[in-house]
Amino acid sequence: MPKFFLNKRLIILLVSIMVLVALIGFSLKERNELSWMEKFVKDTVVFMQSIVHKPAQFVAGFFENVNDLRHTYEENKRLKEHLEQYVLLQSEVESLKKENERLRELLNKKESLRDFVAIQATVIGRNPDRWEETLIVNKGSQHGVKKDMAVITPQGLIGKVRSVSPFSATVQLLSAKDRQNRISAFIQGDENVFGLIEGYDEEREALLLKRIPYDAKIEKGQRVFTSGLGGIFPKGLFIGEVEEVVADEYGLTQIAYIKPAANFYDIDDVIIVKRKIEMSQEEEGQ
Amino acid sequence: MSRLFLPSLVTVMFLLESIIVQLFSQPLFDVYLLVPRMLLVLIVFITIFIGQTEGMTYGFIFGLLYDVAYTELLGAYAFAFSLIAYLIAKAMNVLHKNAWTASFFAIVAIACVEWYAYAIQLVIGGTTMSVQTFFQARFLPTLFIHTIVILIIAYLLKQTLLKWHEKRDESSPV
Repeated sequence: MPKFFLNKRLIILLVSIMVLVALIGFSLKERNELSWMEKFVKDTVVFMQSIVHKPAQFVAGFFENVNDLRHTYEENKRLKEHLEQYVLLQSEVESLKKENERLRELLNKKESLRDFVAIQATVIGRNPDRWEETLIVNKGSQHGVKKDMAVITPQGLIGKVRSVSPFSATVQLLSAKDRQNRISAFIQGDENVFGLIEGYDEEREALLLKRIPYDAKIEKGQRVFTSGLGGIFPKGLFIGEVEEVVADEYGLTQIAYIKPAANFYDIDDVIIVKRKIEMSQEEEGQ
Repeated sequence: MSRLFLPSLVTVMFLLESIIVQLFSQPLFDVYLLVPRMLLVLIVFITIFIGQTEGMTYGFIFGLLYDVAYTELLGAYAFAFSLIAYLIAKAMNVLHKNAWTASFFAIVAIACVEWYAYAIQLVIGGTTMSVQTFFQARFLPTLFIHTIVILIIAYLLKQTLLKWHEKRDESSPV
């Protein structure tokens, strides 16, 4: 009799391992949409989290404020210097903007890849198991968020929307390991150099910009932006600065290490970016 | 203490894990990545001081919620949490129920789940972290911080759970 029970347990264990493997395989598959069950669970969790989040943030914010106070004097001095430069910059931007508009009218080109609508969202959670770096934000498909949209902070690009439910979305950070995480980007210079951001080097904490033509001349400190050629991202979102350039393993192209401009930790508020020019093919396909 | 005390305690712990990681996301000293596993500690204590059925049920439900809401890798934690609750319940058949054994099993459970999660990530290609980096930057600091926290709260948690268990039995004699 005991042996029979032992076998039964073994069978249950084996069956559950099989189910586990099948489920993991299922969740690794590229899915366009979550099932309604997952959406429901996510929204419920996000709803409850936003209730608990407020007091938790308040407590954490208090300690942060105390810490901030200690550096106020130095920061104030630095910011005053910045402010003077800022006024100059602003007048320059204004005049450039006007000129740009005028020229656009001349060309009769109304929309640009740069135009986007910003959706403000608050981060209310992060993947606690810390293997895949994802954030949970409180805006979802009801607010116009769609899968694969770019997500930025004022410092620069931080990632893209991985999955959406009606009232929440999961943001995958650029530092997450994902082979499908490709972003078309260019290095700003006298001549713009295009490449693809593929992958993240954990040890150097740098993004890898691959497929740069072998004869392109790139210097350290050049700035990298999204190119808008990938389909969903708008053009001109700041990604980071070039840290080092090396030849790839076959010597046919170059790889640039990009120091991301945005901090991937301590993110409280993000902007989800919706491009104004939609991909016409994709819209038809849906 | 009302009947809803235990479910709400576990739920709050579940929600706090994500919020704590979000609020303190910077690695400690820029190196050490601390992973909160208090939910697992709670499940271990429930298994020991309340019962196997409760432990496995909470383990499965909240493991599944963890998978769906946070990691999007379905089944991984649901399986791990319920299996751990089962194994600990079996081990408790021959051991004394006290705060020390519970603390010991909670720490062992955290260690197992950390390695398990690492193994899964390696298999599915979710990480390229070397074993040595994992051990030094994630495993040891996580285990260390949880050992301290567990030793502080173990007795209190045990008393709370036992008290709740008694109250519940009084109100619904089966």
